[in-house]
Amino acid sequence: MFRGITAEIGPHDQIALLGGSGQGKSTLLRILSLLEPFDNGTVLLEGRSSTEWRPQSWRRKITYVAQKPVMRSGSVACNLRTVSMLHGTPFEDELARRYMEAAGLGQTDWNKQAADLSGGEQQRLALVRSLMLQPELLLLDEITSSLDPGSKQAVEKLLLEWVSGTTNGTARAYLWITHDLEQARVISDQVWFMAEGCLLEKANTAAFFENPASEQARLFIRGMQDERGKSHE
Amino acid sequence: MSNMALICTLCFVAIASFISMRQKLGLEKEILIGTLRSAVQLLFIGYVLHFVFETSHPAFIVIIILCMILIAAWNAGAKAKHVRGIRSRIAITLACTEGITMAILLGLRIITPTPQYIIPVSGIIIGSSMIVCGLLLNHMKREMETARGEMEMLLALGATEKQAVHSSLRRSVRASMIPTVDGMKTVGLVQLPGMMTGMIVAGADPIEAVRYQILIMFVLASSAAMTAMVFGLISYKLWFTKDARLLPLLPAEDQ
Repeated sequence: MFRGITAEIGPHDQIALLGGSGQGKSTLLRILSLLEPFDNGTVLLEGRSSTEWRPQSWRRKITYVAQKPVMRSGSVACNLRTVSMLHGTPFEDELARRYMEAAGLGQTDWNKQAADLSGGEQQRLALVRSLMLQPELLLLDEITSSLDPGSKQAVEKLLLEWVSGTTNGTARAYLWITHDLEQARVISDQVWFMAEGCLLEKANTAAFFENPASEQARLFIRGMQDERGKSHE
Repeated sequence: MSNMALICTLCFVAIASFISMRQKLGLEKEILIGTLRSAVQLLFIGYVLHFVFETSHPAFIVIIILCMILIAAWNAGAKAKHVRGIRSRIAITLACTEGITMAILLGLRIITPTPQYIIPVSGIIIGSSMIVCGLLLNHMKREMETARGEMEMLLALGATEKQAVHSSLRRSVRASMIPTVDGMKTVGLVQLPGMMTGMIVAGADPIEAVRYQILIMFVLASSAAMTAMVFGLISYKLWFTKDARLLPLLPAEDQ
């Protein structure tokens, strides 16, 4: 699917992962969260290869949030408590309320069945559920695809605040797949652009949009802008 | 039963073949193979049992039970060939269920320790446990597709394999036990079980036959529960790779 990807994610990195469909963006995130096997190469965290880590400890630090939210059967509260249930840690009620509020779910009844929430509400609840894990790196796979503009902004704001904080003294970072160029501008300071089976460009966000280095990126940006223009007409 | 009467039973095979040809089902070859295999297998086991009952040596009993376990494990494991090590786990499960059940039956002197009792009852225990394993495997295979998202979500949140598979495994264990439990509710009303029928045909008092059938039904219930539990416990890790990813799904044509 892709080869020759060499990249590093550092403290407080806010990376937008861009590229056409089928370029392997989701696969890359799934590899980084050790959910997908890879043929060659190594992934390192804190200088140690993924094979030296217990997969569970790795995933607590590097957490993948899927595009399609999967709810556990049961209530909203039961979903929020997933992490404390899995790891036997006390449930941080205050933190959960803060995240829910920030994600625009402050009014949601915690006793409601999670399956009865709308697609957009489920997507945000899934994000809050992953935030409760307090990871160091979030891998976000089009997590605002079902959201209305208001909720989308709320989630962007929440994550921008989140990434500037720390987890147990360690700086946080995210790698965020998006097909929304406006969003990419807002939420990232770097862009990774995947095309032709490799990581074609790694650039500062402003530089990438002003003056993309590759023809593919130029075409990609123009294509996305045309599409956006059409949907606005 | 006379030889002539035995040969006459072939007319039932003829009926099946006739219908298959008439309806163009294309099953004649399968029916022929099935007929030959069942006749040869049953006659063979008849002579083996005849020999074992005569000598009554414990070693033969053990060998026969081991053969039953291996064949049953091979057969049930065919449902999930892509899961490495599944057949050995089935064999271990069947051996556990058989061992514990037989120990209770002999320990409480519910049956006498002769091959005439041990071998047929073992066959019933191992056969029904094999079906329970097969059902559990089928159900788990389906769960690996339908509940994949849920399992991956839990893994992504740092769950262990056991935590990720817990709900699916519980549903599969339940599903594998339901036929046995349902069978307990309707036995005698809908069908007369094979063992009881056999005893009655052979001239036993129906009340005596029923007593044994009750024993068998209860044994089946406990062995189904034991099998499902033990098998679930020792096999759940096989659905994951060593580094706690889910096994990849099979391409559709291989399923």
